[in-house]
Amino acid sequence: MSKDIAISARGLGKHYLLGDAGGRNDSFRDLLVSGAKALVGARRKNAFKDFWALRDASFDIRKGENVGIVGMNGAGKSTLLKILSRITEPATGTARIDGRVGALLEVGTGFHPELTGRENVFLYGSILGMRKEEVTRKFDAIVAFSGIENFIDTPVKRYSSGMYVRLAFSVAAHLEPDILLLDEVLAVGDLAFQRKCIEHAKELQKRDATILFVSHNMFSIKTMCDRVIYLRKGQVIYDGDVPGGIELYEQDCRGAALSWTETRPEEWPIYITDCQMIDDSGKPSSIIDYGARPVLRLKFAVRSPVEDPNFIVAFVRSDGVAACNYSSELDGVKLGTVQKDGTLELQLPPMKLVSEMYSIEVLVREKGFQRILSGQSAGIFHVRHPLYNTHFGVFHEDAAWRLREAELAT
Amino acid sequence: MTAATRPVTVIRPSSGWFDLDLGAVWRSRELLFYLAWREVKIRYKQAALGVAWAVLQPLFTALIFTLIFGRFARFPSDGLPYAVFTLAAVLPWTYFAEALRRASTGLVTDSELVRKVYFPRLIIPVASVASPIVDFLFGMLILVGLMFWYGITPGWTILLLPFWLLITLCLALAIGLWVGPINVRYRDVMHTLPFVTQVWMFATPIVYPLSIIPEKWQALYSLNPMVGIIEGFRWSLLGTGRPNMFSIGVSFTVIAIALVGGIVYFRKAERSFADVI
Repeated sequence: MSKDIAISARGLGKHYLLGDAGGRNDSFRDLLVSGAKALVGARRKNAFKDFWALRDASFDIRKGENVGIVGMNGAGKSTLLKILSRITEPATGTARIDGRVGALLEVGTGFHPELTGRENVFLYGSILGMRKEEVTRKFDAIVAFSGIENFIDTPVKRYSSGMYVRLAFSVAAHLEPDILLLDEVLAVGDLAFQRKCIEHAKELQKRDATILFVSHNMFSIKTMCDRVIYLRKGQVIYDGDVPGGIELYEQDCRGAALSWTETRPEEWPIYITDCQMIDDSGKPSSIIDYGARPVLRLKFAVRSPVEDPNFIVAFVRSDGVAACNYSSELDGVKLGTVQKDGTLELQLPPMKLVSEMYSIEVLVREKGFQRILSGQSAGIFHVRHPLYNTHFGVFHEDAAWRLREAELAT
Repeated sequence: MTAATRPVTVIRPSSGWFDLDLGAVWRSRELLFYLAWREVKIRYKQAALGVAWAVLQPLFTALIFTLIFGRFARFPSDGLPYAVFTLAAVLPWTYFAEALRRASTGLVTDSELVRKVYFPRLIIPVASVASPIVDFLFGMLILVGLMFWYGITPGWTILLLPFWLLITLCLALAIGLWVGPINVRYRDVMHTLPFVTQVWMFATPIVYPLSIIPEKWQALYSLNPMVGIIEGFRWSLLGTGRPNMFSIGVSFTVIAIALVGGIVYFRKAERSFADVI
């Protein structure tokens, strides 16, 4: 391995057995039952399927390189990070890692609510792989960075969730790894925390650390990374510059079934085949300026006639917040019985959402708000504005202000 | 960090049965200490009586045994006051049962850690059997007080106490290494264990002396590895009888086989913990 390579992976693979009970028996009783079934031959053939969560992944990452790991849900991104952080063992292949690895897969794992902040700093530091001497040396800095000096001897169970995360993150931020594995997808739920992660990663970038960054947020990928490894169904299908990787992601986002659906879109009576945001100049674009009035063009396919379909379009922010929602039914549109494939255009009101990445989710319900017929992720877009970001809330709308000096004076 | 001190890690599927890498456990000794320390710390943090529970639990057990088996059933006690006789066995047994319970369930209790962080999994059962030593030591204070009350002075044999404790620890660990990974897959173990330990306790000379067992059954009885250990504790503390070499031999054999086999088995099972837990 040459000297400037931080991570060298060759043919990494990991497979799971998928079967009746997810490939395993949760209790002894299940084992007995499935054993009995096997005896009488009641088990269907292929009941257990070999599922490769990651297959034959090979790449070299140079020291100081910042690589985004991108792909849809279930593409194998988290599996890859879990293998590199040694939480789980690969089934095939090898990886050689040169340097100390810090894995921020989830912050605060191992914190114990009964222990005080101080005690948890030492425990968590040790869990992350720091020596006691190292934690002792950095203790004051860790506490200062977290900003909760006054509560450091209070049991963590009395902390607000914000304080909890701040302290845990502060410990993690002082790990000073050579290689940082960051999974923003797992850390999802708290935008403030995501931002902290990114700030921390940028700090490490300045110190020439190598960063592997899993994210669904193409904004973060754009600002953080100089290379993208794209995974699809467990395989590396792209390894190159950032724009190329993002383009693949945007392609894959179009039409994918939402995670709660059980079958594939092609089996539904109606489903979306294409979705485009058309900007004010009439061209398809995935970047929409704040204040613009884009048109959302949905192409749909019909397998069997649908009575009074209600198309619902939701814009979901990258941290999972449903930011806004449009429904053809609520807007008083009666589509009657839809029997043939077609295109639906949704003229959006001026875009007031703040600068962020949003995914477009499209649901079709039958007869108003009855049975859900389809649920798909139809694509993603970014809203662009130099100032308004999530610090300003979900959306921003100009308002009028009046100052009445005379009344203030009395 | 300079290039020279940067650790190089090679990740690959482990091959064979004897790819143990015990050095990794040694390198994680600080985490091992913290996990054991955490157990001790949180055990009594929220209890109003705090550390007193470490003493009260075996004390009440010994009290009940004294009443039922000593007073009413009039079990022999090798010529010692029954309370001392039974407490000297209840304390190591309580330690053993607790160590075994924690070693067997620790992986599941700490499943969050197992799923999210890398460290040699072996340190979980090791920390589990280490932490109840603290309870044992507190309990010993009571026993010493009781012996003082009855005017029993221990001989030089008391110096062997740490040895017996270590043997007990090894036995609990050896069994925990087998039971723990099974518990990861089948939680039934968690429900079966209390029952098994209770039956096991009555098959061990705790409420009665070894001498009560008819001669011809003694060899069979001594196949229970805890027999030699409990008798060893009594001999060390109270000077009764002589260590039964046969049953100590049994204990050693069981520990040696189960511990070595357990480590190998555990290391093999460990590879899939994060996936199935």
